Amino acid sequence: MAFKLMRAAIAVAALTVATGASAQECIAPANPGGGWDFTCRQVGKSLQDLGLIDKTMQVVNLAGGGGGVAFAEVVNKRNDDNELIVAASSATATRLAQGAYPGNTMDQVRWIASIGADYGVIAVAANSEIKTLPELLDKIKTDPTSVSVAGGSAVGGWDHLKVLIAANAYGIDDVRSVKYIAFDGGGEAVTQLLAGSVQAFTGDLSEAKGFVDSGDIRVIAVLAPERLPGEFSEFPTAKEQGIDAIGANWRGFYGPGGMSDEAYNEWADKIGKLYASDEWKQVMAANGLAPLDLQGAEFQQFVANSVQQIQDISRQIGIIK
Amino acid sequence: MSDRIFGAVGLCLALFYAWATLQIQESFLSDAVGPKTFPLVIAVILGLSSLAILLKPDPDPVWPGLARLAEILAAAVVMILYAEFLPIAGFLIATAFAAAYLTWRLGTRPLQSLVVGVATSIGIYVIFKLVLGLSLASGPFGF
Amino acid sequence: MDTLISLADGFQTALTFENLLLALLGTFLGTMMGALPGLGPSNGVAILIPLAFTLGLGATPSLILLTSVYYGAMYGGRISSILLNIPGDEPAMMTCLDGYPMAKKGMAGEALSLSGIASFVGAFIATWGLILLAPQLVKFALLFGPAEYFALFALAFATLGGVSSTNQAKSAFAAMLGLGLAVIGVDTQTGVPRLTFGEVHLYDGLDFLVAIVGLFALSEVFIFLEHRHGESSASGAKVSVGRLTPPWKMVKETTPTMLRSSFLGFIAGVLPGAGASLGSFISYSMEKKLVDRKGTFGTGDPRGVAAPEAGNNAAAGGALVPMLALGVPGSGTTAVLLAVLLSLNITPGPLLFQNNPDVVWGLIAALFIANFMLLAMNIPMVGLFTRVLMIPPRILMPIVAMVSFVGIYGISGSSFDLLVMIGFGLMGWVLRKLDVPLVPIILGTLLGNTMENNLRRAVTISNGDYSVLVGSPLAIGLWTVAIVGFILPLFLGRFVKARMHARRDDEGSIAD
Repeated sequence: MAFKLMRAAIAVAALTVATGASAQECIAPANPGGGWDFTCRQVGKSLQDLGLIDKTMQVVNLAGGGGGVAFAEVVNKRNDDNELIVAASSATATRLAQGAYPGNTMDQVRWIASIGADYGVIAVAANSEIKTLPELLDKIKTDPTSVSVAGGSAVGGWDHLKVLIAANAYGIDDVRSVKYIAFDGGGEAVTQLLAGSVQAFTGDLSEAKGFVDSGDIRVIAVLAPERLPGEFSEFPTAKEQGIDAIGANWRGFYGPGGMSDEAYNEWADKIGKLYASDEWKQVMAANGLAPLDLQGAEFQQFVANSVQQIQDISRQIGIIK
Repeated sequence: MSDRIFGAVGLCLALFYAWATLQIQESFLSDAVGPKTFPLVIAVILGLSSLAILLKPDPDPVWPGLARLAEILAAAVVMILYAEFLPIAGFLIATAFAAAYLTWRLGTRPLQSLVVGVATSIGIYVIFKLVLGLSLASGPFGF
Repeated sequence: MDTLISLADGFQTALTFENLLLALLGTFLGTMMGALPGLGPSNGVAILIPLAFTLGLGATPSLILLTSVYYGAMYGGRISSILLNIPGDEPAMMTCLDGYPMAKKGMAGEALSLSGIASFVGAFIATWGLILLAPQLVKFALLFGPAEYFALFALAFATLGGVSSTNQAKSAFAAMLGLGLAVIGVDTQTGVPRLTFGEVHLYDGLDFLVAIVGLFALSEVFIFLEHRHGESSASGAKVSVGRLTPPWKMVKETTPTMLRSSFLGFIAGVLPGAGASLGSFISYSMEKKLVDRKGTFGTGDPRGVAAPEAGNNAAAGGALVPMLALGVPGSGTTAVLLAVLLSLNITPGPLLFQNNPDVVWGLIAALFIANFMLLAMNIPMVGLFTRVLMIPPRILMPIVAMVSFVGIYGISGSSFDLLVMIGFGLMGWVLRKLDVPLVPIILGTLLGNTMENNLRRAVTISNGDYSVLVGSPLAIGLWTVAIVGFILPLFLGRFVKARMHARRDDEGSIAD
């Protein structure tokens, strides 16, 4: 143990020394402990364990503006830094699409690679009379005020958009009528579903897992292209219920817009190798991440599509003009 | 007198707050309460309490003389400069300067202040960076 | 009986040399981070996550390390509250009110050790509560819908009147200022930015840590600058620290206070969204209401130190209930712990106690161990802590200022936050001169968003019907306590008490 502690002390010291030289750096655009912070730290650790980078990745927290401060910093000050990556997720794409990073757009940076995705679910309480997604959407269609849908993100955020994408695909024309209640995080939203304050829940699979296992809530649809592997395979997708809605909360990285092609390809390659490793498979399983294996140009295209889709639906509900 | 001025300032603040609230661009999507109700209630209570302060003032506090006031403002300016130069000059240098200045102005001899400033800077660096592993601003020399 | 067997198993898991060493390391680092202004329990835990990863710790050892940090930080916050009148973290805010006056009366040693004992009692009772009542408490937490939360926060603000100021208008002003600042940022219920004036740094809202460090720590620096040639600080006032352990009589007198506060704090902690700050706040204000007959609260009453410390440590334990049993973080710190649990492949929720009993019981055993360690560590170290008062303010104050800056910058990496903090510092100085209490401002910024959101959730769910706010027996009960217990007496009793209050004000005003 003492030996382990010593090793940690050396590691910390090494980290410090490394900052002087041009070590690889990962910006987590939020305070320590959040999802982006974990993305940086976990990927940094795994890259080093696999020997893909030789020094410890320096993780820098740059919070503010829902990631906007970090985005602006990268665009304005670090535009040609080849040693820098930034953690991103669907939330980043959502904010970019809605112009919530004033003056910034997605093509100012280079999208490097994804490391997995968390597919959206729509769930109801176990004792609810609603059994399928069409039943729920039908109820919303007839009387929108009778169903409150709870989610962990702000209005216009990803949890909200997921239910709107489903409603839209079902043919509810005025998606604005869907009554969405924003809570501080998915856990709180699920709790209010259990307490009976709301009738449905929209969120990520990982947020709902504990309650699904205990039988307290019932997943009526997974917003994935096909059924998920393993223990999640019992959940029906929205698509097989006739509603063509897909909503994945992906996690990945972008780099500065002025990053050289060589560096860009190298990063994409490294994260691709990381993705393929057994170690990463375990991390994904532990975090409830589903497969989303995109690097380089493919990922760039994926993000562009995602931004476009969010823009369309946001325009429709009037969040942007 | 101080409280009357304070009350008047508070009243202006409440008015400004109400005005700024009314400027909020509502989207087409609104909940039953709306984004303006709560801040408007705040503005009203803020205004009422300011009015109460204005009408029933407490005895005046002892305000410092002009020289002391300038001292406080100068310290604030140094802190602002510190905040601005921290990412540029790096943690150790910026902190040593700011700490030395404050120590000096609080009545330590200049040379001793410099020593204290440098010691403070290094001490904090060791605790926060080396022990706790926080990422502090690294300047041109990497610290 | 099953419980005791499980607990014994838990101790078996936890009582290894490695785990004990981790607990010791965690409690020590936690105490240190709690005491430093700007670093609170949530940041403290987050900062040490990489250490847990680097050490390659398994689930139970990681949790032991991190919860020791959590409990340690809750203990540590009181140290700077009592010695410097600067809360080390937000739940320790209420400890300033009587702790600092005690230190000024030359009783710093007693205040520190008494609050250490109170912390121990609070955490100890909360840990038992966690063991014995977790399943029932989860049902209790589910009684709280948006309307009930709104009533609970209204109750918290109703108690403000009695707590920290004699001039109620100023107290109300401060509370509204806090709530008003909380509004800044993107509105979660509609997605529109409010009062941000196009400044992207403000979209996430103001961080209350920035507010608390600015208002308390930096304004303290400005006050020292103002008085440099004055009486108070020129040569470094010779403060006597008093005895290092409290007299037995004091402990005995404060025992009922500790027990009541532990209970209240624990309940506040169990409710997600309320958390430790509300726990210490409600404990203090209720205790003042109950036992403060002579008006000694706020002037260095030992019960005023025991109440918030027992309350906030009990709330810290209580907050683990919804985190473990529901997967809902009740506070910023438990949110971070939850993220750690998930990354260790442990799914919190109703089945956690069945699926991972070793982790849960190991964790609970670790809480007991950490708590005893903290008591054993904190009482003898009182002498060391009080040495801080020997450092002349002209050297101590710049250190406090720089630590505050670093604490904030190290977490957010943002110069903008530092500028906001300086603004809060100047504002805090002016408000202190005008005798405006600072506690309501912090309470407002802490609770403002949750309060507004719950109001809006409740009314939106009921499709615009405001009567939902008094739509359940629980909500009506909370409103009754708020109005009958706190608002009415304010108006009825104000003429009677006016004189007494005026006298207390002179003694109670802070630092300047």
